[in-house]
Amino acid sequence: MANQKEVLFGLYSDEEVLLKAIHKAKAAHLDIMDVFTPFPVHGLDEALDLKESRLHIVGFIFGLLGALTAFLGMTWIFVDDWPIIIGGKPYWSVPAFIPITFELTVLFASIGMVVVFYVIGGLGPGVTNPTLDDRITDDKFCIAFDQHGLSEKDVDKVKAFLKDSGAEEIHTKTI
Amino acid sequence: MNTFTFERSQRMFFGVLMGIGLLCAIILFAQNGPLHARFWSDVLHNSVFFTGIAVMALFFLGASVTAMAGWYTVFKRVWEAFSLFLLVGIILMVFLALGNYLGFHHLYHWNDAESVADDVLLKGKSHFLNRGWYLFGTIIIMGAWIYFARKIRTLSIQEDENPGPDFQQHRKIRVWAAAVLPLIGFSSAATIWLWVMSVDPHWYSTLFAWYSAASWFVAMVALTIMLMGYLQSKGYFPDFNRDHLHDLGKFLFAFSIFWTYLWFSQFMLIWYGNVGEETTYFLTRREQYPVLFYGNLVVNFVLPFLVLLRNDTKRKLGTMFFVSGIVFFGHWIDYFLMIKPGVLHTTMELSGAEGHGSHALGAGFALPGFLEIGLMLGFLGLFLYVVFWQLSKASLMPKNDPYLAESIHHHV
Repeated sequence: MANQKEVLFGLYSDEEVLLKAIHKAKAAHLDIMDVFTPFPVHGLDEALDLKESRLHIVGFIFGLLGALTAFLGMTWIFVDDWPIIIGGKPYWSVPAFIPITFELTVLFASIGMVVVFYVIGGLGPGVTNPTLDDRITDDKFCIAFDQHGLSEKDVDKVKAFLKDSGAEEIHTKTI
Repeated sequence: MNTFTFERSQRMFFGVLMGIGLLCAIILFAQNGPLHARFWSDVLHNSVFFTGIAVMALFFLGASVTAMAGWYTVFKRVWEAFSLFLLVGIILMVFLALGNYLGFHHLYHWNDAESVADDVLLKGKSHFLNRGWYLFGTIIIMGAWIYFARKIRTLSIQEDENPGPDFQQHRKIRVWAAAVLPLIGFSSAATIWLWVMSVDPHWYSTLFAWYSAASWFVAMVALTIMLMGYLQSKGYFPDFNRDHLHDLGKFLFAFSIFWTYLWFSQFMLIWYGNVGEETTYFLTRREQYPVLFYGNLVVNFVLPFLVLLRNDTKRKLGTMFFVSGIVFFGHWIDYFLMIKPGVLHTTMELSGAEGHGSHALGAGFALPGFLEIGLMLGFLGLFLYVVFWQLSKASLMPKNDPYLAESIHHHV
């Protein structure tokens, strides 16, 4: 396949060692492709200079959409389409609309965020993601380098780095 | 800098604030409106507000210790100092309770024997709402709070010197911290009924205690944020980092929403039920205090909600300081709105004053005037004076707290 990658990666068994290794790699100007960990590691986002996720903006927009849908929907139903007097209250009873507005805000925001997360992440039914090593979902931490465009000398340099920084295993795999 | 010095300039500044407060109090008293109602209701308003901040600090300290939280430990001395304001708070509240007992003021309709005699509702409530219980209930409950506040503080300072084997000292603190939770949980409701809700003695709401305690809590967090900003600018608390600020911001955000939730729950049930003796509370406030009534929601909900919704605003000291200032003042207004309409009503009934527009009663009741603000600054000066004085009496960092290392390396 065209976009297959040849990946050189090292496996670590401790997140502290991993974090130190990442800082070392940055100092040596090595281009890390990705890092895989079985659980969120404190300080990893900063170490990799990852940008803040923009997913919460999606959440805000969908939440706003939900609030408007609920509020305008109820306004249309209870004022225009099918006005009924309930408990002697006016047709347009804002306090009574608030709980449902809240519910739809939460519903839209949460479902919207999940769907957008799946779409952006390229996840969907039938999608399989190749893993470098099954143990990175269990107890191993992995730093991966893309070998594409690296000369043999560079590859040796990366291998030497992985070894020096405490990687327990070094492998290559095409995914 | 592990020890705090209460500088001369700070003493002077708080002294000036207290001077302004005292001056305003004297002017308020000398104005001699009907029954001195403006003076007494302002004193009640501020005493309750600042006492509540101290109680909530103690409560939150107890909750955090019990939950084995570690993030707040670097600045836990600030909350200990907050909680010791209760020593002054009891003087203020006993002053009010004695005034009530001896009939110097007429803030409470249930304290008027004639009114109670031909009022079946007030008669029914008189087992709880009477001058004796107001005085002794205040003393007993606040005495218990002070006992716990001092105990936790003393144990915490002893821990600096001698943590004991196997975190022995901290285990002792845990016992007291856990015990203070049900104590404050139940007794704060009783004091709020006595001090605040009973200014509208015919009206009651089972949610009221929660709602006003949430108001105290948000004010406490807001004051903590502002104070930490100031102390850091003076070079204290170098270990208080952006992550601690972020967590305080989350508490400010979450509890602003919690406050709104309770406010709305109380409002909606009363609006929906539409029972005359319940709706009167909101009707008075919506018709006669429209600016404060809706402004309350804007300042205490819409503003903190929209500003603190984003991640990065909670990590900026400037933004946090600004929002905290507004929210702190907003919850002071919230208490104004809880107390003033009821007192106004009672004063008019008892003094025979005419109408809402009458000049003598309009000032200081419809909106907080300069004298109210001045008195609030005086109480704030008093509060901060006590806090700074208590901060200077112990090391700023609890040296041997088992959670100190976790707190220093706090990362969200």
